[in-house]
Formats: sequence, structure tokens, C-alpha cells
Amino acid sequence: MEKKRSKYLLTSLTVICILLIGITSIKDGVMEPLRTGVGYILVPLQTGVNAVGKGIYTEIRDYSQLKSALAENERLKEEIARLTEENNRLLAGEFELDRLRSLYQLDQDYMEYEKIGARIIAKDSGDWFQVFRVNKGSADGVEVDDNVMAGGGLVGIVTDVGANYATVRSIIDDSSRVSAMAIQSGDNCIVAGDLTLFQEGRLRITNITKDGDVKDGDRIITSHISSKFLPGILIGYAADITVDPKRLTKSGYLIPVADFDNLQEVLIITGTKQIGDEALGEGAGS
Amino acid sequence: MKRIFANLLLMILAFTVQICIFPMLPFLSAAPNLLLILTFSFGFIHGSWAGMLYGLFAGFLSDLFYSGPFGFYMLIFVYIGYVNGIATKYYYEEYITLPLILCVLNELAYNMYMYVFRFLIRGKLNLLYYFREIMVPEIIFSVVTTLFIYRLFLFTSRMLEELEKRRDTTIV
Repeated sequence: MEKKRSKYLLTSLTVICILLIGITSIKDGVMEPLRTGVGYILVPLQTGVNAVGKGIYTEIRDYSQLKSALAENERLKEEIARLTEENNRLLAGEFELDRLRSLYQLDQDYMEYEKIGARIIAKDSGDWFQVFRVNKGSADGVEVDDNVMAGGGLVGIVTDVGANYATVRSIIDDSSRVSAMAIQSGDNCIVAGDLTLFQEGRLRITNITKDGDVKDGDRIITSHISSKFLPGILIGYAADITVDPKRLTKSGYLIPVADFDNLQEVLIITGTKQIGDEALGEGAGS
Repeated sequence: MKRIFANLLLMILAFTVQICIFPMLPFLSAAPNLLLILTFSFGFIHGSWAGMLYGLFAGFLSDLFYSGPFGFYMLIFVYIGYVNGIATKYYYEEYITLPLILCVLNELAYNMYMYVFRFLIRGKLNLLYYFREIMVPEIIFSVVTTLFIYRLFLFTSRMLEELEKRRDTTIV
């Protein structure tokens, strides 16, 4: 009798789950209220546990890192001197740029996006997916498809938002595709996450046209034609660009700017990309 | 009632530790899958019926965390609870070998499910790489953790049982 009952339960649960998978695959927002509701209970708990765990870990790490920090301090001082010099040089360049820009009446400056800081409170512990959760949500103005940055580079995109949390899929996730371009030549390409490259700290660059002039070390930024990523955000540097066996396209690898191993704080750019007329006609930007 | 509540609490705690603490420890190259361990231990000790419900809750928590189709994790966890519940007739308290074997099999099933439905259908055929780099480390970590968790789990369920019995006798 017991056996029969559990078989019935198994069948009904299976049907329910498959139905749910079906419904949510077609229509994404159905479970949103539930996620948000549970988020109200779970997120404070997660934040607390996270703070305790991190507190202990940082304490231990601080001691071990004091020595290397001193050496690093020396090195950084030299670096500051060098950078100050470089900054002066660049400032001069900027004045010239401003002048030329006003000459061309190009007044949009891509890097002036509004950002808010957020702390990572949870990550997937398995290795299959590269998703994490941050402690800012729709109450702070975060929306689905907002871009996420850290350390001066693109980190990922918000896939789902509750009142006080947001889930971010990083660009190193296997299913991530970013429409990008090389800053020097303006050639378009696709930056794709790949689980098999993830441990080397690399991503894949594909779909560069055969004549495209992308060289190793070129800066790769998000392109204008992406439907979800704002233009002009630095992703990383190209490496090992080779011509594909079919000889129609080139591909290679990308070394990201953001340090994905030690991510703790990220910047979320509030305000998703508004698709204007010029951004239509591409589908690979998600 | 108290037991159900305690078990739900234990699962939430395990889930929180799994996604908030394990990923923050950079020296852990892989992390044990606590939810999986709890689900199959529960099914193994208490039978299919309880295992399924416990699995349902574990899957529910995972589905809340991941975006994507809702119910994806619930499905696999319900099955893990059910299948391990069948093995409950071989359950014997001090016998640790069978749970360890079950742990390996469950981890394999769970990871293959992930691979087939999230990677193979997108044309990623390099199973050997995924097996070597992702599945094997996770299985090893999980087996080691099972050694501890399973004992702890047995201990707490026995304690809760006793607590319940004692209360019943005082009422009568």
C-alpha cells in the first residue's frame, strides 16, 4: 500500500515538475512573486552567514598577507610615480580629445553610466554554472539585463531580480555570449564563455571576419550592436588569434580584465540598454 | 511536527552554507553537494515517501537560487529521494559502506543530468573533460563529507525521535 502511494506521489510530482519547467521556459516571470517572497526570508540569512564566514576567513588571511602587503606597498609607490607621469601625459591627450570631440560634435561619453555597488552574498558551489547573487535588488533600481562590472571590466549580466537581491550570470558561464568588438580596428566578434577554458582563466572569441585586423593583446570592448550590453565596456584582451580551419572566420581567446577568482564587490550599471533604431538587426548579443 | 520543522531548518542551513561559505573559500577547488547528501541520506533512512518530499524541498531551494526553468532541480531531487528510498530495506544503522556507494551513484546521476540537459543539448560533446574536471572532484569531496554528515544526520534523527517518544509518554 505504502509502495503504491509513493508511486502515485512520484508520478504526480514528476508531472508537476515537467509542467512547471514547460511553463517557465515559455513564460519567464511566472515564479517571480514566489522568488521575491522567499528572498525576503532567505537573503538576510544568507547575508548574515556570508558575513560571518567572510569575517573569519579575512581575519586569517590578513595575518598571512601582512608581509606580502609591505612588499607590495614598495612596488605600488613606484607604480604611483610612473602613473602620475603617465596621467599627466594622458591629461594632455584628453584636452586634445575634448577639443576634437566638440569639433565633431560627439558629445556622448560612453563611460558615464550610473552605477551602484553591490556585495556578492552567494555563489554556486558546484562547477557547472558561474552564477552569483548580490545584495541589491529592484528596491535599489536594479533591473533584469543590467550590466555588471568589477575591476574595470565586464563581469556579467543580471538574469533575475527580487526586491532585495539580484542573480548575475557571469560572462565566464558556459552559456554566456557577448557581442563585442576590438577597440583598435572596430571589428566585431562574439565573446563566449566556455567551461573547458574556465580554469585557464580564458574565454573564447569567435566570429571575427577573415580580413578582420585583431591582433594578440588588442583591447576587446562591448560593441554598439549588442542588444543587452552597453557599448564601450572593457571585457579583456585578445590572445592567440588564429584563422579557423574553414578559412572564413578567425577565432581565439580572451583574457578577461575582471578577476573572477576573488570577486566580492561588483558595480551594477543601472539602466538597461535602450534599443534604438541603430541597434536592430542582430540577435547574438544576449 | 517538530521533526519536520527541524529537518526543514537543517536543509535551509545546509543550503546557505553551500552557497554562501563554500564558494568564499578559495582553497576548495570543488565543494561537496550538501543538498544531495541530505536528500539521499533522508530517503535512505526514512523511505521513498519522506525522501521525495525532502527532495522536493531541496529542489525548490535550488530552483529559487538559479534562474532558468523552474522545476529543473525539483525533478532530479525528487527522483533521488525516491530511488534511495527503495534501498531503505537494506538500511542498517552502523553500516556506512552502502551510503558511500549510494553517494557516488547519486553524484554521478546528478552530474550526468546537469551535463545532458544543460550542456549536451547545446552541442558540447566533450564529456571526458567535464567528467575529469568537474564530476570527479565533486564526487570525491561529497564522499568524504558523507562520512561525517551521515553520522551526524543519524545522530540528530535518533535524538529527535527520542525527544518525540519521551514527550508522547509524558502526555499519556
